[in-house]
Amino acid sequence: MPNRPEPARALRLILVDDDRVRAAAVELNLAHAGFEVLSVIPTGSGLLYQMAQQEPDVVIVALDSPDRDVLESLSIASSHNARPVVMFSEAGDQGFIADAIRAGVTAYQAEDISPPRVRAAIDVAIAQFSAFNAIRLELDETRRQLSERKQVEKAKGLLMSIHKVAEDEAFSTLRKLAMDKNKTLGETAIDVIAILEASKRKGDVNV
Amino acid sequence: MSESRRLPPGEKDIVQLGYLRLTDSAPVIMARELGLYARYGLDVVLHKEVSWANLRDKLVTGGLDAAQMLAPLPLAMSLGVGGIRADVITGLALSLNGNAITVSPALSAAIEACGGDAVASARSTAEALGSWIRARGSADQLTFASAHSFSCHTFLLRLWLQAGGLDPQRDVQIIVLPPEQMVDSLARGIIDGFCVGEPWNSMAVQYGVGTVQASGYQIWNNGIEKVLGVLESWHQRFPATHLRLRLALMESCRWLADLSNREEAAAVLALPDYLDTPVEFLSPSLSGQFLYAKGQQPVDMPHFHVFGRFQAGFPWRSHGEWLLEQTGALLGRSLPAERIKSLVQQSYRTDLYREAARHLGIPCPSGDYKPINQHHEVWEYAPGIELGPDMSLSS
Repeated sequence: MPNRPEPARALRLILVDDDRVRAAAVELNLAHAGFEVLSVIPTGSGLLYQMAQQEPDVVIVALDSPDRDVLESLSIASSHNARPVVMFSEAGDQGFIADAIRAGVTAYQAEDISPPRVRAAIDVAIAQFSAFNAIRLELDETRRQLSERKQVEKAKGLLMSIHKVAEDEAFSTLRKLAMDKNKTLGETAIDVIAILEASKRKGDVNV
Repeated sequence: MSESRRLPPGEKDIVQLGYLRLTDSAPVIMARELGLYARYGLDVVLHKEVSWANLRDKLVTGGLDAAQMLAPLPLAMSLGVGGIRADVITGLALSLNGNAITVSPALSAAIEACGGDAVASARSTAEALGSWIRARGSADQLTFASAHSFSCHTFLLRLWLQAGGLDPQRDVQIIVLPPEQMVDSLARGIIDGFCVGEPWNSMAVQYGVGTVQASGYQIWNNGIEKVLGVLESWHQRFPATHLRLRLALMESCRWLADLSNREEAAAVLALPDYLDTPVEFLSPSLSGQFLYAKGQQPVDMPHFHVFGRFQAGFPWRSHGEWLLEQTGALLGRSLPAERIKSLVQQSYRTDLYREAARHLGIPCPSGDYKPINQHHEVWEYAPGIELGPDMSLSS
């Protein structure tokens, strides 16, 4: 990433580690690298609650923390407040870290490396996370568009059959309604379907 | 040593074996205490891991040779969901059942008031919870915790909620918490209930911070729970060591099958080297005298944990397929039937189980699939092959 501009504000982190001494060393490294460490918490202090309260940009977790399952589950259930996660471990685990990265686990980070490399690892984790999140958002948007198109088609069909009008006229009616009510085409379609179906059930077709 | 000599020599003698602090880790722990690893010429080093993610990653990166695993984990790893992808196989299931759903005293009172009776049936508590939630409308959602995303705990919890007419995705919140944080989180009101293995349910009951609403057995009779997992590549390099390890564990499971050995097992598991937990939290589920609520009479549940009987060691592919279907449901996508079948065939190695069973001279099923939801009682799959009930709440 050449010429990457400095972020306007420091990234805010939560550090999860049960080992106080190690946590202090990691925190110092992170601060040197220009990150804002919101808090250092041990396992069992309600990680999910802390995340909701403090809204960190990134969570840094010790490789041997039981909270890793918790963080992993967040990226599976999209309704949860997922955050990029960086794991770190003892300096002796270098081989393990390399293998883990090769196997596709989120960036791992040994504690004794220099601030620029801490920064790089966190950047990688954020980039991976954003790419994943972008795909998920894109998918949600596509789904939404697809369902909107279906609603519009259905509303058009109902207008055509009940009012005995051609397709383009049904569509322009829909569009005019949307503009008048200052709503999206999709929202208007849902309203129209509700009204027409209700009137159909009552046998009253004069909308 | 005679057993050891009839077998092909092991490719490696020292085996690093991972497990979690759970009552149903009994087979891997007792195999050491009973000298069974040594009988098969193995020097097994046990590693107590703090979470399933740690255990999984260490297996993949070579820190562990083999691991006691949640039954869905080899499948989830082979599928590549949840962090890491690796071809993991199992040739031996270690236990059936062993979990329970526990809720806070307040929620328990509500369930009871709506007619739920946990000792009578899991369906009654599920239905009571369902009607209570529907009656209170859109008040604050309840939060339940499971020990891992891809686990029988999650699947049992979902099955139980569904039996009460609830949508596990919409009507409640399910989060993941490490087993060791469950009791504390329930006591502090952070969660309303959890599904986890022992000893955590018994601990909540005895501290008076929770009551059990369903045992895993009640939700799914004799469902597969823990398996022995290894990388497929590891098995190819060390097939004879793998066989010896399975044999030692099968003997351990056979010893544990006898309920009269269970008190001894509880005393060993309680030791600081292993679970480091008061024996009072281990005895109820191991002895089959399970306590649903503080102050009540223990309930006779000989099948709370099943080791070494009902063909508990056999990695039924029908179980594997069911687990993958549940995994798909959890991910919100249905996996194609062909993909499920081939993944299970790769991961659930019934051939490896049969190989070991031949050495021990114990009969084992000729087929890889068995029906679910057909037997209320113990039944005979074939002459000499006795299987347990297989009903579930989904029926």
